[in-house]
Amino acid sequence: MKNVILLTLDTLRKDILGCYGDENGLTPFFDSLEDKCIRFTRAQSVGPYTQASFPGILTSSYYLEYGKEKKLSPKRTLISEVLQKAGIMTAGFHSNPYLSDYFGWNRGWDVFYDSMDEDVSPEVPYLKGNEINSKVGEWLSSHTRGREYRPFFLWLHYMDVHEPYIPERKYIDMVDPSINLTRNEMFNLFKNVVLKRDMPDEKTLKLLKKLYHAHVREIDGYTKDFFDLLGELNLLRDSVVVITSDHGDEFGEHGGLSHDGKMYSELIDVPLLVYDYDRARGEVHNALLSTVDIPPTIIHLFGLEPVRDFEGRSLLPPGDYAEKGCFGEAIGKIGHKEKDTDKPVYFYRVNDLKTIYRESGNIWEMYNLKEDPKEVKNIIDTSSEARHMKEKLRSRAERRARE
Amino acid sequence: MNEEVKKGCTELVEKSKAVVREAFEKFKSSEMAVTWTGGKDSTTNLWIVRQVCLEDNIDLPQVITIDEGDAFTEITDFLIRISKKWNIDLEWLCNFDVLRCCQSHLGNTVKVKDLNERNQAELKRIGFEEDSFTFEAESYAGNHLMKTVVLNQFIQENNIKALSMALRRDEQAARKHDEYFTKKEGGHLMPEHTRISPILHFSERDIWNNIRLHNIPYCSLYEIGYRSLGARATSNPMAVGVPAWEQDLEHTPERAGRRQDKEKTMDRLRKLGYM
Repeated sequence: MKNVILLTLDTLRKDILGCYGDENGLTPFFDSLEDKCIRFTRAQSVGPYTQASFPGILTSSYYLEYGKEKKLSPKRTLISEVLQKAGIMTAGFHSNPYLSDYFGWNRGWDVFYDSMDEDVSPEVPYLKGNEINSKVGEWLSSHTRGREYRPFFLWLHYMDVHEPYIPERKYIDMVDPSINLTRNEMFNLFKNVVLKRDMPDEKTLKLLKKLYHAHVREIDGYTKDFFDLLGELNLLRDSVVVITSDHGDEFGEHGGLSHDGKMYSELIDVPLLVYDYDRARGEVHNALLSTVDIPPTIIHLFGLEPVRDFEGRSLLPPGDYAEKGCFGEAIGKIGHKEKDTDKPVYFYRVNDLKTIYRESGNIWEMYNLKEDPKEVKNIIDTSSEARHMKEKLRSRAERRARE
Repeated sequence: MNEEVKKGCTELVEKSKAVVREAFEKFKSSEMAVTWTGGKDSTTNLWIVRQVCLEDNIDLPQVITIDEGDAFTEITDFLIRISKKWNIDLEWLCNFDVLRCCQSHLGNTVKVKDLNERNQAELKRIGFEEDSFTFEAESYAGNHLMKTVVLNQFIQENNIKALSMALRRDEQAARKHDEYFTKKEGGHLMPEHTRISPILHFSERDIWNNIRLHNIPYCSLYEIGYRSLGARATSNPMAVGVPAWEQDLEHTPERAGRRQDKEKTMDRLRKLGYM
């Protein structure tokens, strides 16, 4: 039985990876993994920001299912809980406050490090990938050397691509050496533009994207370091690594910045790679799938019985995966601060048709992603599929309203 | 309970009593106050202080409890019952001004300009710049007003020089080097006082052993799986249906059912742009 490692990358857009078509050369290491990975091209997150997305990734359920509680409902089942009960060693290392012990995510973990006791600076308000790698490395070394070796499930999460977009000089130089901002200037950009969601001029927007790109290069490096670590500990052949992100980031595609209560592709499309040294041969799968399928996939990899509470299905073996539609839900806030008056926003996608329903204002949208990948042409009033798609979302919204 | 554990408990209690006695050498009873949440640690702390007072014929200092607006009814009932049993004149503190501004309703918005002068000044002091906040159990602004401010006000108005609290070293990595006596510097709106922590050296397991050994009362919520009790909205049972003392205290985190370090978490969220 192989170990399973889940590597999640906060705020990483799918389209920024070379192996997904980006031509800026920002992810040489990710791209190099291709022939030992199964690559899924149409993975959808179940929500456009961390709180809305991680219930899918770690509990195979949806954000608004148990009311609008900020803390993880005890009724949800975490993948760590299932695995721990089955005797598998479970360890989680991250620095996202929304996934901390405080918000109820510390269940079922033999080791859980959420870094909330550490002091961080406003410029880097999280633990960098190399610091996470260091903590992971300490644990992995001692676990694999110990007498009581058991198969493990390791979850690690990197925050480096998340705003405030203040990359180090060496990463800026990899993207555009002509950028000459001080850290203070970059921080002001974050405070005055990104935080306020003020759509900037073209020049500033380009600059923000480049700072984001610099962080992407940074995270590619940390991922390489992590795999090097696995190599040193002889774990590469004995571990399956599932790599994904919780959501993307907006750079003006729909009039905004950062990641909020919107359901467009720049936020919902996520990369999904399954690294398996000797069993994967660079296959590419185009089935439409959701991150809600990740926990059942992990269950399958450990050879365990399917979990009734998990709403997704195993992605493996890929040939057995039956495509269905995908859902997503979130609070439709624009701007980070959730207010009690914020109402939900939902999406439903099947094949290349996506419908979005925003309760506030009763706004319906529908896009044909094949013909209109940028989601600018709303066909809700003209599409023959509109009625069916609306029904799907309406009944879901009604169910949530009752819960 | 085996003899070794009994002996261990007795030693821990004696050590705590020594700290309390040292406090009574430095401060008069009338200058001290004991905080009591109704939880297992603060009840143990209160029990120890009370034992010393009974043994040494000293007046029990003022005992205070803070109503943050989202208490478990089981805790409130426990406080009422035990204060009667131990003949304690319990003082209930509450920031009524905040409750007035939100009609005592969790989830309602409080407008800063509706608050009294002191509350407004306190918000300014912690750097809270917005003009309203939601009244909820663990909100940064709300918590500061409901807990910290009300405590500071009590200390000021009653000339309290020392506060006995129920902190334990094993609760958080940050507490590893805490001392029994800590001087809190005075500042604007923050009265100078000394914090006394007599049970620092108790572990979670020690607390339960001691409770059993001396039949110290505890709230019924611990029987159904709660390990740590705070506001209703933010406390969850760790293992539903399993009494706290039967859970794996050594290998599962005590406060996983509660906010681990609320202010640090809120601070992180702010820095990431989330608040």
